[in-house]
Amino acid sequence: MSQFLQATVYGLLQGGLFALIAVGFSLVWGVMNVINLAHGSFVLVGAYLAFELNRRIGLDPFAAMVPVAAALFAAGYLVQRGLINLVVKAPIFITLLLTFGLNLLLVNGLILIYSGDYRSVTTGYAADGFALMSGVRVPVGRLLAAVVALLLTLALVAVMRRTRTGLAILATGMDRGAARLMGIRARHVYALTFGLAAAMAGAAGAAVSAVGTFNPADAGRFTLFSFVAAVLGGLGNMYGALIGGMVLGLVEAWGGQLLPGTLVNAVAFAVLVAVLAVRPEGIAGRAFYSSRVEV
Amino acid sequence: MAESSTAAPAADTTRPARGRRPRLPAWWPWGGGALLVLGCLGLQSQLYSGQERTVTTVFMFVALAAAWNLIGGYTGYACFGQVGFFGLGAYTTVILMVHARLSFWIALPAAAVVAAVFAAVIGLPLLRLKGHYFAVATLGVAEGLRELVTNVPRWTGGGSGATIPSTGDRAVTPWLGNDGFYLLFLGLAVVCAVVVALVSRGRTGYALRAVNQDEDAAAAMGVNTTVAKTVAFAVSAALTGAAGAAYAFQQVTIYPQRLFDVDITVLMIVMVVLGGAGTVLGPILGAAGIAIASEYLRQHLPEAHDLTLGALIIIAVILLPQGVVNFARDAVRTRDFSLLSNVRRYRL
Repeated sequence: MSQFLQATVYGLLQGGLFALIAVGFSLVWGVMNVINLAHGSFVLVGAYLAFELNRRIGLDPFAAMVPVAAALFAAGYLVQRGLINLVVKAPIFITLLLTFGLNLLLVNGLILIYSGDYRSVTTGYAADGFALMSGVRVPVGRLLAAVVALLLTLALVAVMRRTRTGLAILATGMDRGAARLMGIRARHVYALTFGLAAAMAGAAGAAVSAVGTFNPADAGRFTLFSFVAAVLGGLGNMYGALIGGMVLGLVEAWGGQLLPGTLVNAVAFAVLVAVLAVRPEGIAGRAFYSSRVEV
Repeated sequence: MAESSTAAPAADTTRPARGRRPRLPAWWPWGGGALLVLGCLGLQSQLYSGQERTVTTVFMFVALAAAWNLIGGYTGYACFGQVGFFGLGAYTTVILMVHARLSFWIALPAAAVVAAVFAAVIGLPLLRLKGHYFAVATLGVAEGLRELVTNVPRWTGGGSGATIPSTGDRAVTPWLGNDGFYLLFLGLAVVCAVVVALVSRGRTGYALRAVNQDEDAAAAMGVNTTVAKTVAFAVSAALTGAAGAAYAFQQVTIYPQRLFDVDITVLMIVMVVLGGAGTVLGPILGAAGIAIASEYLRQHLPEAHDLTLGALIIIAVILLPQGVVNFARDAVRTRDFSLLSNVRRYRL
């Protein structure tokens, strides 16, 4: 029983991190209809930046979230403005291929600089833990990562719903033509959206660097997790991505307890395909942008 | 490339020729294709063994790209799990040759049939999905297959790989040698290109293009879209499965990580899109171009070849989003060869 509870705790904490990664992916997908295959590599760029900041000036990885997120916001803005905006009206394969090329570039750039070795940022407290009850231990680093991830996700939702910029992003996502007629600069708004997503991924990367090891080859895994979480939650739906990330974390943790080997992944994909075939709008309800008009 | 010239009739059927185009006899694409295949038949004796293996890989990717073009290019369904059929074909071959001790020449068609049946079964629910949802669902199927194969080591060797006995008494079919695999993959590439050319000219090809342009309208015009899509998916899977079977036998020892690598799917898509989706010639040119460029970079920039490939893909996608063949056709028709005006079409 305590083993099951431990798996649940671990799954929820891991799920919070997945949610932070997935929410940016889901935002880009929902607003621009772009599947960003480079999303996982943004997470890793964030992780390596945090690693570098820690090595050079001894910055704590959680404090490094702020400069890392700012750097990735700028990078994301420029990538969207300079590259993706050039093909955003082309068929979906095109943006997929563009982000795939970007992913190749980033991952192999990281391998060139840092080699394929596993890295991690060690802090004095991240490995400490406290017992929730007998046999259930909560590591501080993971708890901190999950809490920060949840707060950031909720903050993003609040920004999207409450601020002029957020509403402009949502409006552009619903109907780009109408938004442009209302005086919204779509190029700028798209770049902001992509920058925000990259910043969230970078912040998640800094958290990843504090709670475990990472290497450039993990990029594909992170992209895949965001894919699954975004689909489970319903496209473009940010609360959905939150729920999807949590579900994914729990399924992974429980499956690891119950099933031999990596069969849990097979089950996760079977669930994904079944959800898609039966309820393409996701388990969290309808997709946020159900009626899209492409102009 | 050998079968490249078989493309022209398809290009003509998609877009009726304008009057001023110089006329060639109707049989020239088939005749030219046959000539090129004959040329390739003699080529293997002129190459070093390293070059021969490179050309063999090019043939494999021609076959794979042509196969993906049926579902992705003509029908417009972004199948991101195509590598699943590749791996399925490979592991069908392994199981048949190792456990049932059947000849490779039985395992190869069996692999194609297994892949086709599997595609038809998953296609019925999944082909109802549109756009990205279909892409994610097929990706999930391929990843799930990989995990399944990894976790039944009794049949597949699991993560540590499976080996097909290829020499001595244990071999059911002796390994074909470099020349043998050159001819096998050349044959596969020709079969795939001919199948695509025939589908493209036939009734099914029109049905698939109609589905691509507007599925509801196609259904309203009396196209049985479910049958058309499922047939395209199954044929595409069969060709991919056959290529996987041949690849497994060529490699002798295969691993699930390699056989279900999502990068293989993406390579197929890159080749088709950059060559020209929905044309017969495009995927062939794209596969040859990218496979050769990749090999060249691997030799001359061993450190940074994936990085350079990524940069090249980004540039090519921005400059030629509709692919070389489609761009050339439109450019000839409109007399506008500027790449910049091409970029302006899709810019926000």
